[in-house]
Amino acid sequence: MLQYLIILLDDTSTSYCHYENPKKDAGLIPLNILKAGIRFGMVENLMIQFVYPDYELPGEYKEAIESIDHSKIVSSLCNDKSLADEADVIVFHDWSGISYAMTFPDKSYVLRTTKAKLFERYLFLKEFLSKVARLNIVITDIETFDDGDYEQYKLILHTLSENIEKMYVDGLAPQLNLLTDRIMLKEMNNCGAGDTNITLAPNGKFYICHAFYIENEDDCIGDVKRGLDIKNKQLYKLKYSPICSHCDAYQCKRCVWLNRKTTLEVNTPSHEQCVVAHLERNSSCELLKSIRKHGKFLPETEIQEIDYLDPFDKRKEW
Amino acid sequence: MEKEAIKKNDTGWKNGMAKNITFIVTKDCQLACKYCYLVGKNEKERMSWEVAKMAIDYILDQEDDMQEESVVWDFIGGEPFLEIELIDKICDYLKIEMFQRNHHWFNSYRFSFSTNGINYDSEKVQEFIRKNRDHLSIGITIDGTEVKHDLNRIYKVTGKGSYKSVVRNIPLWLEQFPYGGTKVTISSPDIPYIKESVLHLYSLGIKEININVVFENVWKEGDDKLFEEQLMSLADAIIDEGYYKDYACSFYSENIGKPLDPILENTNWCGAGRMLAVDANGIFYPCTRFAQYSLRDKKAWTIGNVNDGIDKNRLRPFLVLDRLSQSKQECIDCEIASGCAWCQGENYDAAESNTIFQRSTAICKMHKARVRANNYYWNKLYRKLELEGQREEYEKNKKEVKQEIC
Ligand code: SF4
Ligand code: SF4
Ligand code: SF4
Repeated sequence: MLQYLIILLDDTSTSYCHYENPKKDAGLIPLNILKAGIRFGMVENLMIQFVYPDYELPGEYKEAIESIDHSKIVSSLCNDKSLADEADVIVFHDWSGISYAMTFPDKSYVLRTTKAKLFERYLFLKEFLSKVARLNIVITDIETFDDGDYEQYKLILHTLSENIEKMYVDGLAPQLNLLTDRIMLKEMNNCGAGDTNITLAPNGKFYICHAFYIENEDDCIGDVKRGLDIKNKQLYKLKYSPICSHCDAYQCKRCVWLNRKTTLEVNTPSHEQCVVAHLERNSSCELLKSIRKHGKFLPETEIQEIDYLDPFDKRKEW
Repeated sequence: MEKEAIKKNDTGWKNGMAKNITFIVTKDCQLACKYCYLVGKNEKERMSWEVAKMAIDYILDQEDDMQEESVVWDFIGGEPFLEIELIDKICDYLKIEMFQRNHHWFNSYRFSFSTNGINYDSEKVQEFIRKNRDHLSIGITIDGTEVKHDLNRIYKVTGKGSYKSVVRNIPLWLEQFPYGGTKVTISSPDIPYIKESVLHLYSLGIKEININVVFENVWKEGDDKLFEEQLMSLADAIIDEGYYKDYACSFYSENIGKPLDPILENTNWCGAGRMLAVDANGIFYPCTRFAQYSLRDKKAWTIGNVNDGIDKNRLRPFLVLDRLSQSKQECIDCEIASGCAWCQGENYDAAESNTIFQRSTAICKMHKARVRANNYYWNKLYRKLELEGQREEYEKNKKEVKQEIC
């Protein structure tokens, strides 16, 4: 069921996920479209998330935005410094930012990184994790993982898991999507683009997510005037994904944009996406066991040992 | 009492479980059949030997990923026999390579052709047949009576019907392949000719007729009624005149028209993705229907090429596709769903978005009509066998019938 409306305030709104936003020329959403989008969210009972560009918005935009309950997604590089305080999610696009930025203990952060940078700099994360409410790491080149990368990723997750274990022992409760989400979840909690959320672009059209807008502006799913028209919308639901519906890597983003890019179908993930998510899942299982060595912890939760990294390989048993 | 066997359609070599690898050797054909789904036929795209060799080398290198016990090397076009010299070279190379590599397909392979039959008797085609006799299956397409055949199967240049050029080769073909079958495709204008066409093909000595209605959305108001009447009248002829003993027609099958179990009977209908097709440019497709020349409204669905190999991620949707994930609730709950076929390529072509997960149901009313006529056929046949004391014998020798759709 649709729950969220993501509104891109500008063509240069920050990427907060797997895709890059190469658009450099500002293209502010017309005020009437912004207001129509907000109205759409209100009548459809959707929670609105605004995605900001790096420059300060005009006063009437701020006013319109504040007319509704919402959350703000802002880049760490945004020039409107007052937003750093107001933002609900702050996005880092590089690692230098994460080392020097002023952090707020109650905020969620997103770190977009290539695998190479993650493999090189993951040790920086320990300190950062202890200072913030939550960190989501988004790897921007998952589709390029190979066997060597999987090995390295596994080792890195293991080290991070040891760090988190120590933090728990010290009485902290760090949240790192790659390792702690699976422990907390009882069912799939994926990105939900096209199912639980849709995106409104500055051109007044709806898209499955920001990435679909960047890739092809014609690939829209309706507009603010006529409403939504998602072709084959069932395919964005878990039930209609033969692989994901047989999976318990509940923390996986199940990125429908990456799915389409790699397999041509929004409901079918690539091998790489599945293996990466299963390495995280299995490391979460290890982490859970390690924390439990220090005392009772989430006694209801159980993550089974499994012998595969890609549910596709088990399809004969479905 | 004399034993009577009932002729059933061949279930396909190795029960359809062989890997099917198709070479689209040419996109040219002498004919321009009106129902031909190949919308982009042309004379330019002919496969070169270099491309064919690269494709073979790549495919045979992938032995670990192609574990099927047997292989059918399929040659299609356009008209494949227009490229008989290339095909001969490909087949020689395949035999040598499979042998030299000690490939598990050596001695478990077939070369398969679906031809319009026009140059079947040419010296080169005949020489090829002599050379590969034990590993061949050749189907000649003939649509029925002269009128019915020439309604659709006309020469590209003259616009004249091709019946006479084909039928003259039928005796030679049947001499070489006594169990040769023919595929008949029914579109809206063909419906009134179904009965006489099938009986005509029987009269030519063709014992096996694999007949299908097209999957495209071509059906007019009342077509289903007419179709049902034709099938019932054909059923009368087959039963009354005893054709059922030696001849088969795939329209009638005991397995169709039943509900399907959502868990146990959830498999996909067609083998796209388990098959592999390669075209003149060395591009790989999940089946030929995904090549650009077969598609009306969509872009080609490629899965790789002879230089870079197959992108396994692009095969994943095909290998996990099941009935439920692509069907509407109406089809999932349908009381007569078994035998209601679909073609993945047509599904893709007709889908509202770029997906293979939206089943086209243009065939719905025709399947319903077929099921009614099929029920009539079996009720009538069983009653006759009962009265003649043959039923028990028949039940004992029952075989599965598999409808071939492509
Ligand atoms: S589909 Fe979801 S996970 Fe993928 S890029 Fe878009 S928002 Fe991110
Ligand atoms: S790991 Fe693979 S199968 Fe599981 S939810 Fe993620 S994408 Fe889907
Ligand atoms: S297309 Fe029609 S006949 Fe076929 S399964 Fe669906 S509802 Fe039944």
